[in-house]
Amino acid sequence: MSTLIIGQAGIATSVQDSGRAGTLQLGIPPSGAMDPYALVSGQHQLGHVHDEAALEMAYADLIARSTHDCHIVITGAPVTLAIDDQCLDPRKIHAIKAGQTLSIRATKIGIYSYLHISGGIATEPVFQSRSTSPREVIGGFEGRYLRDGDTLPIGPTHSRPSRDDPLLDLSPSPSTLTLRFVPGFQHDEFSPAAMSALLGTEFSVTPSANRMGVKLSRGGVHSGIESLLSEATCYGAIQIPPDGAPIVLLNDRQTVGGYPKPGAVISSDCARLAQARPGQKVRFVSCSAEEADRIQWLERHFVETRLQ
Amino acid sequence: MTCSVGPAGEAAMRLVFEADPAPELTRTLLAIQKSAQRHFQGTLTDSVIGYATLTLFFKPLQFQRDRVEAWLLDQVDLTKSDTHCDPPPAIILPVFYHPSVGPDLEWLADDKGLSVDDIIALHSGATYFAYATGFAPGFCYLGTLPSQLMAPRLATPRSKVPPGSVAIADLQTAVYPCESPGGWRLIGQCPQPLFNLRHTPANLLSVGDTVRFEPVSEADFYAMGGAR
Repeated sequence: MSTLIIGQAGIATSVQDSGRAGTLQLGIPPSGAMDPYALVSGQHQLGHVHDEAALEMAYADLIARSTHDCHIVITGAPVTLAIDDQCLDPRKIHAIKAGQTLSIRATKIGIYSYLHISGGIATEPVFQSRSTSPREVIGGFEGRYLRDGDTLPIGPTHSRPSRDDPLLDLSPSPSTLTLRFVPGFQHDEFSPAAMSALLGTEFSVTPSANRMGVKLSRGGVHSGIESLLSEATCYGAIQIPPDGAPIVLLNDRQTVGGYPKPGAVISSDCARLAQARPGQKVRFVSCSAEEADRIQWLERHFVETRLQ
Repeated sequence: MTCSVGPAGEAAMRLVFEADPAPELTRTLLAIQKSAQRHFQGTLTDSVIGYATLTLFFKPLQFQRDRVEAWLLDQVDLTKSDTHCDPPPAIILPVFYHPSVGPDLEWLADDKGLSVDDIIALHSGATYFAYATGFAPGFCYLGTLPSQLMAPRLATPRSKVPPGSVAIADLQTAVYPCESPGGWRLIGQCPQPLFNLRHTPANLLSVGDTVRFEPVSEADFYAMGGAR
């Protein structure tokens, strides 16, 4: 079987596809690529149409060797790429010969980059997905982040890479990233002071950010809600813990939680937040559920037209 | 019972009852969940029961909020009387109650002015109802804890709670299925795995189950596969 041998894994590299559905009742999060646009872009460029899994690299610092000839493309946060010590354009599709060594390193922008290999990373699916949920030790490669020396199976190639970069990458964050959210959950029970703190504060992304969620700095949002019965969370849910500093829940979130939530950030802005580095300024703006649908429809339309 | 429906983000709708948790309410939620899985087949991806909520997750852009809302409110009326069923037999979970595996057991006894044996008798003497699953695979929120045992969460959660830990918080009890952070008070350990991907279903406990805890000796605990 074709394999990819990981010489150096980097700090948080995992196998991810678009994630799983239907497991929230079991307490298993959807997981999946933190930047779904980057995932789709790479799948498209390699002609992958079966949600083939890629390697998601947080602050990429990867050295890997393929045991077979293959094509690769890297999407998401910009990186530098060297093949056998020769620096190459990281935004292009490259043909790799068996035994050649890839070195991929993060630049100063974004967090999550994706290494796609023709055929996809072919680990065993769990609940119809190859995505890794590290906390639950489920999916991907042994349910965990990769380590130096791991050997990953690569699927057979059914397709030919033919498409150019469809330019699906998220535009670089403006100086202040706007997080649009749909009000819901305990929104109506939040005190007016808490809501004006949420809407009026410029927060910033803290280093306490991972695949579970992003903690924002500056407290000050005191919900006034004493206790809460545990209930389902969702992608983008804004949790307000007692310290008053919001946490936006992302792909590897707890499926159930007991913190008050004034609403949930729309998916498009969740992907931008996932790519935001510590220090990035963010602001919350409320938007109706219908507006959120319209944004999602337009984005989907944008993606589909780019992929045609 | 008063209830309302609203969005939970852009891809989910949430039904919430203004009522205290009770097995009857949970059985109503279970009945509505079952109908929803039939009625919205193909577009409903997940449905999650909380203490007083049912959250329905749909494929993006493939549901209409006003129709889901109207349907849910109809169901609340229809399922009101349809909650009489015999509870399934209780699932018995063995527990080794001991300070070596339950670091808060002695604190709890002191705090409540009870003996450790009293605590064990109270915790294992009650029958619990499974109100919700989630937090981690196999984690099940069980209630109601005898009020004499009611204990607040730790001010600072432990960063690592060992798998199998039997825990209490407020009027709830649960077993931590895997190592995770946790702020509940630990009083013992259960050697029985709560989650196994090779089993169908993978989780031992489901919403609506009844559960009892049975004290076991240290020797039995290890014989059953328990380990610190």
